[in-house]
Amino acid sequence: MFGKASSSQLSVSLGGSGALSHVYIQHPPLRCSIPGSKGLFYDDGNKLILSPTSDQVFSWKTVPFASHVAPTSDSISEGPVLSIRYSLDSKLLAIQRSNHEIQFWNRETGETFSQRCRSETESILGFFWTDCPKCDIVFVKTSGMDLFSYDSETKSLHLVETKKMNVSWYVYTHESRLILLASGMQCKSFTGFQLSSAGMIRLPKFEMAMAKSEANNKPVLAAEDVHIITVYGRIYCLQVDRVAMLLHSYRFYRDAVVQQGSLPIYSDKIAISVVDNVLLVHQVDAKVVILYDIFADSRAPISAPLPLLLRGFPRASSSSSRTGNKDTDGSEANDRSDHETIIYGDNWIFLVPDLICDVAKRLLWKIHLDLEAISASSSEVPSVLEFLQRRKLEANKAKQLCLAIVRTVILERRPVSMVTRAIDVLVTSYSNSIKTGSYFKGIKAEKPPTSDVSNVNPPTSVVDESIRREDALGKSIKHGSASGVENESINRSPAFSVSDSEENVSFENSNHLRSLGAKADRENFKVAESSQSEVQKLSLQSQLLGPSNSPLNANYSENLESQVTSAAISPDEMYSCVFASVEEEMAGDPAYFVTIVIEFLRSANVERIKVHPNIYVLTVQLLARHERYAELGLFIINKILEPSKEVALQLLESGRQNIQTRKLGLDMLRQLSLHHDYVLLLVQDGYYLEALRYARKNKVTTVRPSLFLEAAFASTDPQHLAAVLRFFSDFIPGFKNTADHIAYCRILNEMNSSITA
Amino acid sequence: MGLSSANTVVNEGFQFCIFDLRRGQHEGQELDKILFFYPADLPFSTQLSVIGLSEGLITFTRIFSPEAACEVIEAERHSHVFHQAEPDIWMVMVVEKSKESDAIWRIDALRRVLKEVHSLFVMFHGSIRSLLDKEPSGELVRSHLYAFIMDYLSAFQKRSPWDICCCDFLVGKKIKLPSFRDCLKERGTVQMLTVGREAALEVQSLVRVLESCAGNAPCYSLVLFQDLLVSTTLSPDDTINLFTYAVLRLAPNALLSRASSWSYLRKGNTASQIAAASVMASSGSVSEQFYGSRDTSPHGGERSHVVRPLQHNKWYKGTDGFLVTDIWGPEVGSMVSATPTVLLHQTEERMYLCVYQHKSLTLILLFPISSILNGEQGISVVKQQIVENASLKMLKVEEKLSKGWGGENAYHVGGYRYLLVDGDRNVSRASPPGKVTTLTKESLISLSNLREEIDLEKSRAKWDDPDHEKDLEICIRAKNNAWVIARTTRGKELYMVLEKANETLLFASDAIEKFSNRYCSGAFSLD
Repeated sequence: MFGKASSSQLSVSLGGSGALSHVYIQHPPLRCSIPGSKGLFYDDGNKLILSPTSDQVFSWKTVPFASHVAPTSDSISEGPVLSIRYSLDSKLLAIQRSNHEIQFWNRETGETFSQRCRSETESILGFFWTDCPKCDIVFVKTSGMDLFSYDSETKSLHLVETKKMNVSWYVYTHESRLILLASGMQCKSFTGFQLSSAGMIRLPKFEMAMAKSEANNKPVLAAEDVHIITVYGRIYCLQVDRVAMLLHSYRFYRDAVVQQGSLPIYSDKIAISVVDNVLLVHQVDAKVVILYDIFADSRAPISAPLPLLLRGFPRASSSSSRTGNKDTDGSEANDRSDHETIIYGDNWIFLVPDLICDVAKRLLWKIHLDLEAISASSSEVPSVLEFLQRRKLEANKAKQLCLAIVRTVILERRPVSMVTRAIDVLVTSYSNSIKTGSYFKGIKAEKPPTSDVSNVNPPTSVVDESIRREDALGKSIKHGSASGVENESINRSPAFSVSDSEENVSFENSNHLRSLGAKADRENFKVAESSQSEVQKLSLQSQLLGPSNSPLNANYSENLESQVTSAAISPDEMYSCVFASVEEEMAGDPAYFVTIVIEFLRSANVERIKVHPNIYVLTVQLLARHERYAELGLFIINKILEPSKEVALQLLESGRQNIQTRKLGLDMLRQLSLHHDYVLLLVQDGYYLEALRYARKNKVTTVRPSLFLEAAFASTDPQHLAAVLRFFSDFIPGFKNTADHIAYCRILNEMNSSITA
Repeated sequence: MGLSSANTVVNEGFQFCIFDLRRGQHEGQELDKILFFYPADLPFSTQLSVIGLSEGLITFTRIFSPEAACEVIEAERHSHVFHQAEPDIWMVMVVEKSKESDAIWRIDALRRVLKEVHSLFVMFHGSIRSLLDKEPSGELVRSHLYAFIMDYLSAFQKRSPWDICCCDFLVGKKIKLPSFRDCLKERGTVQMLTVGREAALEVQSLVRVLESCAGNAPCYSLVLFQDLLVSTTLSPDDTINLFTYAVLRLAPNALLSRASSWSYLRKGNTASQIAAASVMASSGSVSEQFYGSRDTSPHGGERSHVVRPLQHNKWYKGTDGFLVTDIWGPEVGSMVSATPTVLLHQTEERMYLCVYQHKSLTLILLFPISSILNGEQGISVVKQQIVENASLKMLKVEEKLSKGWGGENAYHVGGYRYLLVDGDRNVSRASPPGKVTTLTKESLISLSNLREEIDLEKSRAKWDDPDHEKDLEICIRAKNNAWVIARTTRGKELYMVLEKANETLLFASDAIEKFSNRYCSGAFSLD
């Protein structure tokens, strides 16, 4: 069944990428319908969808997302379920039974115990498990927060700490480890805590801005108006201001909360998703979604508002060719009614960060970005490339798109300044990825690229097969981003220790990278010495408020980034996928192409990236073919084309028509101390005496004496021949007994006798 | 010891003529073959006898060597240097030999002067033959040649001491020629600035931007820093010509004199014209008739303007950073000066010449006339494009090059006085002139003689086996105990004077080995 489904989807998705939409959800969804279910719960700590029935709780993994995941189940006792979450080590299950009681199950032993509020005046608003070292679970109550740790021996909770305050409601996301507690009449005063593995950080109290509609009418902020999002490892809070029709954003730092500006909204109901660090603002009433990439300070949307597309839905797909389509029957026909999905229906709940849950139909959708559509929608090539380079989820696709875009702009002979900026973007991005180490992780996951990396197949390897799943499409292989519980708990630890600065993170990575780089056997990349200053510079850039306000980290994201293949493009790939292929198609005047190569070299040089010699060889070929020897000479002398054996040989080859160029090649061989080749070529060119002198000086013994003798013989100068013979007799022991010696002695005698005669 | 005083002053003994063997072959029309003669006030009979002797020798030697006739005649008191500039058009220079007045010449150096003046002339006016074809009377070519060569020979007092290769020859009425004191220079080569890879990439990036400003037309560029070449996209011959011209008239040093005497010149061009005219007047009334007065030469109803690109102090920096000149006269019907044009040797295409200068950086840009549609208007559009697109890059490049430049003595190597010539690339590098002047006369004369020998050897080898370049090494112990060394290998030549060297030859060859390894990437270290 799945095979059939995926094949039909493939065709759809290929056609569908041209549709007017930048974001899509892929059919089929994950179906979470269980008879007798009491509702759906999302456990974002473990990324599970939970569906309790009267005596069981079913759970589906949402990461990696697949429509065919089978649920696992635990049995529970009967009772109301207000909220339900597994502990982070999955050993305990906690169920909030009422406003005053939370019940715990030990999954291994089946034992249970309950924890209640001490007084009747306070009620439990919710709870969450945490990996904070001092506690395991946090209860949020109207009177404040209770931090408990679980004692596995006594099988009970111990109160570690209580934070007293009035709480109207709270927001928590596990990916940010941040809890915001709202208080006050308008619920716009906030206290925040980050409970990360590094410990607990209390954020300064802050107020959110709210416009007043009328003098006496003060709007009250609701929990659904506040969203905590994590993009590029930074934590933001987005607040919907319904009166002003604005979405205010705040960024969290360790000791400050800074308002970052506002985005306009066009709908009363707003939902927020984050896919691959892109912020999606769903204008639910208008049924469109606006994309923002808040990496830079710019608050401009990536593109115009467009609807969310449902891809691969059988009815939708067959609409154009309905008559001939007989595939959409059978098993699919049964649950077609089930599939009547209303985009932005009332039953949709948006889960952090990128899931949509249709509560009524018990469906779970995952939101995807359509990178092709996004890149096709903008003509501003450098910014599109920047956007694509930042994508991690579909890194391979982003990479291929980048390569295609660069190829196109060069072939279309766009203005040099624009192509230059585009190349700068790619080179800078590659350089950054090397510094942070994500590129090497990518390589490790793939395979060490060989010099001719023209293969663009999706990489397959055994290394992390476990966290990879073929997604329903079956056409691309994707890394699971937040790959399950075990993986995350490993990743968490180093990054969590950080909140004080990003530098540590960077150092971690670069250290890590050093060993990786060696392993990957790529000596070209001079990463290891990624100096302290460089790293600090990097972190300074990302700190808007300077060192005193180091940003709060969204802990694991840095590490996650390095898990997946990066979209960065190495110089080798630039050569094989851009320059080599473009050069074939570009006929005529090489000036434009040479310009582009120069810009690429300049850019690479600025970033201290080593370039593949093939690019130099290509440039030499090109200049020589168009007889621009003067420029070629200049390039070689100034080392714009760096010396290497490949370049030298190409110069010799191209120098067949131009002796000066050939000499440049010879000189380069000499400078590279490629003695054997140098001597051989000297002999070939008839400079056998010079070759002999050079051979003696540099102790080259690998060139056969007969070559010298032949050359000397060809010159028809008996003195020279005699000199060469004498040389070998003197310097090569045993030469006198060789056939060469005897033969040439005879020849020499004949020559002498013919002269005297 | 200043450089200008070091140059030998020739007065009476110097003669310079250009003649066409195809003209004036009939009795009574002999004057017709003379295209140029210096000094012009010499009686025609004397002029004709000089030319007659040369012609006779050429005819005689052609019997034995039709390809390359006469190169030089060494008489007891004179040397005649021959150069066939174009088929049947010969340039002959006669210099007097004299021990007292330092008049010791190296023939090849003199011949290179002839070559240089001719190729510069062709660059601006086209070949002599084409001018003759255009106007068979010879009036046109004579007036052009006269103005051009007089300008070429004319004086230029304010020379910066590190000006290496191109000096003007006329001091007042006296002409100074390259003598033995200039034996550590090579005319007809360019001097390059050594740049690092990063700067080179920046320069290339700038060059590409500049070339893209002309649209799709093939455009060439030359980038100079001070008096040194940084980048070129021209063919070697054209590079040499434009480089020579740029160093003579366009480089910041060449412009300096104008800036310093600004007020004087602003008063009116009359002053400089008087100066120029006085040079002409000094050459006497004969020339007035023969070469045609510059101002009144009658060429039908056409504009009779003779363009004199080598005139001094005619270039100055415009407000937009481009250098402007009125040498090419005003554009028809406007006050704007016409844009200069030059003829490229390689493509034989006429190009507009635009020069941009920012501090020490000089950019020379050539656009084909055929590709720019509206003439001056089109040029100003291109200029605007350049200012818009490339200004930032130029600032950056200038800054980078200035930072990396070691000053006038950047290429001085302590203990050595050297000249390094790369014949394949027409590039030379030498000890700074200020350092060369510290050498004694003996050393210089021996080096000059040694070079003479090498020149001879080279030309012999060229006839023997044009495909095979010989290695050559000569070390001489001069009278003053200095080592004078020449070494050539596969198109590269190294000349060296070591005055404070040790006694032994071993030491000398050791020194040369060290030099070769350090500064020539081992090109001269063969054993």
